[in-house]
Amino acid sequence: MTDLDSSSATEPSAASAGLRVLIVDDHSIFRSGLRAELDDDIVVLGEAATVDEAITRVIDLQPRVVLLDVHLPGGHGGGGAEVIREAAPRAPHTLFLALSVSDAADDVVSVIRAGARGYITKSASGAEVSEAARRVAEGDAVFSPRLAGFVLDAFGAVAGETAETTEELDRLSARETEVMRLIARGYSYKEVASTLFIAAKTVETHVSAVLRKLQLSSRHELTAWALERKLL
Amino acid sequence: MTRPRLRLVGGVCAGFAEHTGVPLATVRLVTVLLSLCGGFGALLYAWLWATVPSGAAAADPLPKSSLARPSAVRPQPAVSSPVAAPGAWPQGSAGGNHRADRWPGNGADPASPVTPNRQADSARAAPVTEILLGLALLAAGSALVASRLGADIPLAVVVPAIVVLAGTALAWRQFADIRSGAAQQSSALLVRILGALVLVAVGILLFFVTGTNPNAWTVILAAASVLLGVAVVTAPWLLRLWSDLADERAARARESERADIAAHLHDSVLQTLALIQQKAGPHSDAARLARAQERELREWLFTGSRSGSAEPATDLATTLHRIAGEIEEDFAVHFEVVTVGTGVGVRSAASPEMNTSNTDAPESLVAAAREAMLNAARHAGGAVSVYLETGARGIELSVTDRGPGFRVDQIPEDRLGVRESILGRMRRAGGTASVRPGPGGAGTEILLTLPAATTAPATDEHHTETSVR
Repeated sequence: MTDLDSSSATEPSAASAGLRVLIVDDHSIFRSGLRAELDDDIVVLGEAATVDEAITRVIDLQPRVVLLDVHLPGGHGGGGAEVIREAAPRAPHTLFLALSVSDAADDVVSVIRAGARGYITKSASGAEVSEAARRVAEGDAVFSPRLAGFVLDAFGAVAGETAETTEELDRLSARETEVMRLIARGYSYKEVASTLFIAAKTVETHVSAVLRKLQLSSRHELTAWALERKLL
Repeated sequence: MTRPRLRLVGGVCAGFAEHTGVPLATVRLVTVLLSLCGGFGALLYAWLWATVPSGAAAADPLPKSSLARPSAVRPQPAVSSPVAAPGAWPQGSAGGNHRADRWPGNGADPASPVTPNRQADSARAAPVTEILLGLALLAAGSALVASRLGADIPLAVVVPAIVVLAGTALAWRQFADIRSGAAQQSSALLVRILGALVLVAVGILLFFVTGTNPNAWTVILAAASVLLGVAVVTAPWLLRLWSDLADERAARARESERADIAAHLHDSVLQTLALIQQKAGPHSDAARLARAQERELREWLFTGSRSGSAEPATDLATTLHRIAGEIEEDFAVHFEVVTVGTGVGVRSAASPEMNTSNTDAPESLVAAAREAMLNAARHAGGAVSVYLETGARGIELSVTDRGPGFRVDQIPEDRLGVRESILGRMRRAGGTASVRPGPGGAGTEILLTLPAATTAPATDEHHTETSVR
């Protein structure tokens, strides 16, 4: 993720004035609640309530991280995934972190495959959201336990399918499976690292690799979800 | 005087009998006799039928339902009798209806209704039948009277007209039955419909066959008439198809509306509940209430979409979610339940024959998991992760809390919660249980594993569960 690191380095304001985020959610009560709860070093550039508004704001404001609701009105009905697809090409330094109350796998998979760098549930506290936003800004992927569970299911890791090479997109490597399993158990990255006796940075690498596979894999379960949501 | 609902043909005789106090059988007999005397009775009958109002739907059962004949064969005589014996009125014409046995003596006991509701429905839904039959009777009656008076009756016109009217009435009756949803044997129904249609077609054709010298126009007219007749007769059926289609569309619209409402609830209400939980802090009553409401709403929202998979009551993952919900109601704790892998049922120890699958989780695993979750709720609280993995290796379940942590060897000997309810149970079920410090040395992680090969019956003994620690 060196390219992302260098990109943040080219934005001196990001370091001095805190992390610039945009909150996209169609419920004003949630936006204001989240805004109040976020840590002090996070600068909320603005808010958006619809798909169209979100696309415009992202392109205009060029935030570092967009806290993006999965379900959004407007646009072509594509919700958060549509925002990412439309806005990402014109906001190259912007990263998306999906927020949702949804339990549904297809919701998660749709935004991740559209390019979101992580997925957390809205029941997370302000501190947790802030931490996740910082993590995304640093180029890491953010996996909630539930998302890790989806990944294990979707890649057939539980059934014992293991990738032979790291290049294989349709299966997880043994190490990635282990990492995902621990995250699903509620471990933080740091705890995963100490449990597996690896460096925290290595955990991040594994998680990013899994995210990449999640986005690029043509695995049946993933594409089925994507097809259902008319994403392909 | 009203014509009661309790009737054989038009209810005229019954109404008259009720009105005057004369026995019903006598009235009917007199009517039939009068009809045979130059058709006077029939004419009177038809006139009364047309003029006397029908009584309100009485509480008493309908007499047609009392006809102790199977419904499928009732109308069958109608097809032939009017054609074969046009003069033998009123029996012939009345035979066009399924109330064929109108003459006295054959009237069955009204105290044995067969399907009163259906009959009542069809009678209400299809006044057309009565009108058509009345017209047929009128035509037949006036033709008879006219011929007695010496007029030259064009029987070639009258007979087909009666047949057409009776046939249409019969067909209408069948379609009314269909429309009212009175499902019968479809084959019998088909036969009757076809019979009615044939009757109509024959009647229309008779107009022309028995008429003057056939020419091109007659033929064209005949063809058009047949088509028209069939169209009229089948119109109700087509109408019904159309209305069914509309119903289906409406149902689909309702379903999508429900989905919209669900989506809205899902977003707005769940978010609000999540917000309350955040603001109120994990240990407050408000947060607990909000959590309980959230769980209920989630269940309601998602059970519909999940119902396609196995029965929820015995699914291990669902059971875990339910247990988490129950414990959350009593303790300031939030369970993050993540389940991975194939669905696994729960094998009931009490009735093992119900679920014979070897992959099913024994009830003792569920009980041990419950105990572990209860422990975490009691002694740690806050956020607790529950992770269930079911796969080729078996079942693996972990409960991880961030509480103060404890060690098994620190538990006093007399406390059986962990030792018995969790460790002992898993051992007897053929699995293992381990209690160890949580990730990073904080909290507790209880790991329950059950190898896939375990087919040992779940012999969970009846021991008393004591509070842990």
